[in-house]
Amino acid sequence: MAAGTLRVVCYLNQFFGQLGGEEKAGVGPQVVDGAVGAARAVQQALGDAGTVVATVICGDNYAAEQAERATAELVSLVAAARPDLLVAGPAFLAGRYGVACGALCVAAQAELKIATVTGMHAENPGVELYRRQVYVVQTGAEATRMLPEVQRLVALGLKLARGEAIGAPAAHGYFARGVTRNIVAGANAADRAVAMLLDKLAGRAFTTEVPRPAFPPVAAPRLVKTLAGATIALVTDGGLVPRGNPDGIEALNATRYGAYSIEGKSSLDAAQYDNPHRGYDTTWVKQDPHRLVPVDVARELEQSGAIGKLHETIYSTVGVATTLAQSARMGREIAEKLRAAGVDAVILTST
Amino acid sequence: MRLELGWSDVDEVTAAPATRLAGKRLEVDLDGLRELLSADPRLTRIRLDLAHPGERCRIARVFDVVAPRAKTDGGEDFPGVLGSVARAGHGRTLALGGVAVVATDQQTDNVGTLAVIDMAGPNAALSAFGRTHNLVISAWPSPSTERSDYLAAVRLAALKTAVHLAGTAREAEPNRVDVFELPPSPRVPPELAHLPRVAYVFQIHSHQRPTGLDEGILYGDPVRRMLPTIVHPNEVLDGAVLRGFMGRSVTTWAIQNHPMIRALYAQHGRTLWFAGVVVTVAQATEPERVRSAFLTAGLVAHALGADGAVLTKIGGGAPHVDMAQAAAHCEALGVKTTAVVEDMSTDGSAEGMLLFDFPGVDALVNVGSSQEPIILPAMERVVGADDIASKLLGETRATYGGLCGAIEQVGATRVMAEVR
Repeated sequence: MAAGTLRVVCYLNQFFGQLGGEEKAGVGPQVVDGAVGAARAVQQALGDAGTVVATVICGDNYAAEQAERATAELVSLVAAARPDLLVAGPAFLAGRYGVACGALCVAAQAELKIATVTGMHAENPGVELYRRQVYVVQTGAEATRMLPEVQRLVALGLKLARGEAIGAPAAHGYFARGVTRNIVAGANAADRAVAMLLDKLAGRAFTTEVPRPAFPPVAAPRLVKTLAGATIALVTDGGLVPRGNPDGIEALNATRYGAYSIEGKSSLDAAQYDNPHRGYDTTWVKQDPHRLVPVDVARELEQSGAIGKLHETIYSTVGVATTLAQSARMGREIAEKLRAAGVDAVILTST
Repeated sequence: MRLELGWSDVDEVTAAPATRLAGKRLEVDLDGLRELLSADPRLTRIRLDLAHPGERCRIARVFDVVAPRAKTDGGEDFPGVLGSVARAGHGRTLALGGVAVVATDQQTDNVGTLAVIDMAGPNAALSAFGRTHNLVISAWPSPSTERSDYLAAVRLAALKTAVHLAGTAREAEPNRVDVFELPPSPRVPPELAHLPRVAYVFQIHSHQRPTGLDEGILYGDPVRRMLPTIVHPNEVLDGAVLRGFMGRSVTTWAIQNHPMIRALYAQHGRTLWFAGVVVTVAQATEPERVRSAFLTAGLVAHALGADGAVLTKIGGGAPHVDMAQAAAHCEALGVKTTAVVEDMSTDGSAEGMLLFDFPGVDALVNVGSSQEPIILPAMERVVGADDIASKLLGETRATYGGLCGAIEQVGATRVMAEVR
């Protein structure tokens, strides 16, 4: 192997690794020196730029049915070959294969710190599962044109392995990873906005520069009890914290939330609370915390029997510039705690 | 209403014994200017520096940037803040091309409002202020001056300087004259009546942070209780609107050279009819937000009779939603909209780019992610931040939002976030 060329490992399923068809789908991970089966196309596409030092093969069923074990075993086989680049697949429309390729690429990136690339058809379930973490090159549904498909994988893989800048998805034929990157456009934003409006007004096609968020709709569950029999909790993302902010909830981009007892309190004493939230003018909430978390009125409703009980813990975080992932996690954790505590309904106050 | 901007191009700025414009060379008597600015009792010490394009110089602690402008024929400069309250947007205004006044903030808190300008290297090309000759003002507060008063004093110093510099062009023959003339909105000549009528909805402040008493934004008004109102676009171009003290990715310079108003003027009478400008503020509470959103849409649809509207925002996340809510109300009244947004994601994920999803608000332009990291290369000189200069000389990490002029939320910049 010439100095300076890359060491490449290929990952294939039993079919493309030429072990056999569905009858061999249960075979466990194994490694062969050099390029076999579809990996020969990878070697051909690499030319002098790299050498396929090993081909790692695993049956589709083995990979699907004991996914974690298979991935761990595959990663150690890959590691032993000390590659600079892992080329997994392409898996085309083969679902089990695609998922295995994605899982192996993620693990190899994380554990071996090497570049990885895979390829799949748009409808392969591996695309949606892994495109955010792995460069998945778009391929056809079937392996009818193996070499040109593999050439595109290898071209992107070489750039990744060499640490070169990667262009837009359309330029390299990979599925958008759902990450954003600043670039310099040809015209300023004002000119682009006016041009887009003129297209919209004329009924011409236009392309928005920001995809609409695909938040899954969350249906509000029906309260099965009457309010008079229900336990109600107060939860806010408006940043109310006890003075001193004991949980260190961040002023923006929060990753923490607090659980604060209101046991024995008929109202909140402004002197005992603070608010680190940097997304709105907190003057009025600091002056009177009930403007954000209405413990006073909720206690009155509890006294009068309008609600069964006020939950004795309030939950609070700072909702500004918080990532979707953190928001979802904190929401899930708070919801689990509330459910475990027998809370029937929640009043969420936001700002 | 007719406004003429008479531009004198400047390609050299030097310190000199007298302030004057000699051809394309602007000579500035820095001592004389310092004396003029020192009259403000809210400031104790004033330092003036010049920074030129191509120089390995970093301007730090940038608070705002002002374009040199001066009214002629008795017009008021920056009315309500520097000059007396009077209508702006008509007559002749002197403008210097290639020069900017950069105000710095010497108090260390509130890092979010501070930014840098690189005069050389890759970041210089990303900002309009990497290509202008910059007069940098560093001023320190006198002992009893509170934060808001200090910022008001710093901004006033920048405005005085802007007028002082542009005044040198009083006797000069301008290199070019931009004419901005828009008849009263309903008076469309019959031969142009087929053009779509387009309004601009300009959010000029966000009440995420309350304004100071001296934080004049619209003709000197701190817009604390402002409801949406219609102004002539020339008023915006001619100093009626100044940026407030929360400077996230907007400069006064960009408002004085407003790119959206210029873009609409450029198309006016050709592909569209510029119907007018509605100025709004982003509100702090839900009833205020809803009220402002439908009043805005009402002015756009009913008063200006617009078929379409472009909208921009200021500040962060709440104003982003506030703007979209106004756009949704416009769409509900049959007015087509496009809006200019920042990429609001804080983790670089496409899912986090937008904080709203309203029907019809589907045509969005973005000015990039202010959170994306950027490398500031080593420089030879730092101005505007003597006490932290050593930290800012070497290669430093920053974000696009920390590079003044790389992202202008009113749409002056070309940086955009692409989904990958």
